[in-house]
Amino acid sequence: MENTTAIIAEDEKELRNHLRSQLMAIWPELRIVGEARDGKEALELIERHKPHIAFLDIRMPGLSGMEVAQRVARSCRVVFVTAYDDYAVKAFENEAVDYLLKPVIRERLAKTVNRLKSRIGSSAPITPETLKGVERVLAGLAGQKGASHLRWIRVQQGGSLRLISVDEICYFKSSDKYTAVRTETGEYLIRKPIKDLIEELDPQIFWQIHRGTVVNIACISSVSRSLTGKGAIRLKNIPDSLTVSQPYMHLFKQM
Amino acid sequence: MFSNTQQMNNMVIDRKRFIKSLLITALFNTIIALFLTHLEYGKGFVINFIFSQCIGLSICTSILTGHLVLKNATALRHFFMILISMTMGTLFGSLMGVLIAGLPVAGIFQGKPALLFQLLGMGILFGSVITYFFFSQERISQVRAQMQEERIKRLDSEKQALEAHLKMLQAQIEPHFLFNSLSTVLSLVDTDREKAGRMLTDLIRYLRVSLSRTRAESTTIDQEMEMARAYLDIYQIRMGDRLQYRIQAEDGLKEAAIPPMLVQPLVENAVKHGLEPTVEGGLVTITACSVPQKIRITVTDTGKGLDETGDAGFGLMNIRERLHSLYGQEARVILEENSPSGLKATIEIPHGKHDGHYC
Repeated sequence: MENTTAIIAEDEKELRNHLRSQLMAIWPELRIVGEARDGKEALELIERHKPHIAFLDIRMPGLSGMEVAQRVARSCRVVFVTAYDDYAVKAFENEAVDYLLKPVIRERLAKTVNRLKSRIGSSAPITPETLKGVERVLAGLAGQKGASHLRWIRVQQGGSLRLISVDEICYFKSSDKYTAVRTETGEYLIRKPIKDLIEELDPQIFWQIHRGTVVNIACISSVSRSLTGKGAIRLKNIPDSLTVSQPYMHLFKQM
Repeated sequence: MFSNTQQMNNMVIDRKRFIKSLLITALFNTIIALFLTHLEYGKGFVINFIFSQCIGLSICTSILTGHLVLKNATALRHFFMILISMTMGTLFGSLMGVLIAGLPVAGIFQGKPALLFQLLGMGILFGSVITYFFFSQERISQVRAQMQEERIKRLDSEKQALEAHLKMLQAQIEPHFLFNSLSTVLSLVDTDREKAGRMLTDLIRYLRVSLSRTRAESTTIDQEMEMARAYLDIYQIRMGDRLQYRIQAEDGLKEAAIPPMLVQPLVENAVKHGLEPTVEGGLVTITACSVPQKIRITVTDTGKGLDETGDAGFGLMNIRERLHSLYGQEARVILEENSPSGLKATIEIPHGKHDGHYC
């Protein structure tokens, strides 16, 4: 029977060496066919050598261990390596996915190795259940990240490009070809039209209150209604006031 | 989500206030009618009552409507509006009173001076008294609301400061960092004992500064730089030549007191979000220098930079919150793109003393 093969993907050299020497001591028949320093290298190695096992650090430059696993879980058995009680560990536990905690301790590694040996020995290297387990974990983690909203606005100021956190922004207001970005300390112009911003901003934080105005609701101090059915918003910490046009007044109906 | 639902219900309150004002005015009107009857003015209480209600309520309605229309106009305009409301209200109210009481309309032009002028005089006199009453009521409630608002503001900022402080304490040592570093030490014990010892020493240096109890309130630039150095030394062993760093602090600033955990989170961001995710790694530069009345600290990396949906870690938001509660508008945090790559974070905090030269 041919030897079992594995690759190790870990960005820190010392930890890579350590895992290799531990593995060699506990499982001398295992042939380590390659070592990768980042996710992309790991992917290449797996495609080239088709190893039985891939030890993947979760946090790696380029591609994370998770991202690598997503692409190769069908062709080889993945063992995740992580330093701390990552949010993933519980998921691994639940789905019986193999993982190692750093620092890798000999007894714990021996357990994992025994488990790997018994499964690799069987005719099918990857059982459908374990594959499903890995896929469920990955899907769960992908879902956890959620939709990504705009968090930073790039503005030109003097010669430099500043990054302004959306939490700092009181409101956006369209003006001609530009959009004005108002913070507590200043006002900037950006080229992105307001209708694009509306789609990218987190609707939990930013509300459109007018055809050309989007306000950060955390900055609202008060809202009052005029006789014409429009609303007037006063803001915290800055003297500006904003108009809520009639179609958006329903947002401020009594809760 | 809104703390000021009270103010959001302004409209409802407006309607309620409208009715309340009318009721109070009606009460005043009754008192005026009683008063005039007591002075044996007019043709008995019933007629006096009808006239004073008609005139008073007309004036009141007119003034309230005027306020609603003018809303944010100048005080002078409001004054004229009130004067006109009193005149028109008296005229309209008198006419209504005549009709309700079933008296001849011509009657209001009789008397010496004409009844209409008597009514006008009384309308303006009593109207002014009642308006003054409402005006001072309004003032009192405004002052009260203002005090309430200020109290809420103060409590809010105290709460924020406390929360930010708590988060800072919790974030002092990141477990991921500790476990990863210990893993490295453990793996070095077998292969390179000298390096393992050096790394343990760095870790002790780092922990000693970050766990020192006095640091919870205030620290010095020197201490913060020492902590950053220890942290970066550890990372240099872990990342190898993927990490370079440079620290430049002005000599005169070494003992300057600054709040803790301002520099460290920026250094951690630079390494974790800037350099570690890149295959090539890069350079972290920390500088501290004085500008007029301020200390300026910068942390620059040549790493990955930020994409617009990227998370910059909790550090930056926490720094902003704490600086805001400590110094208000006197301090600031700026994040910029570094060229050709990476990020530059700048913190400025107030500082009285300086040694004569600025950077």
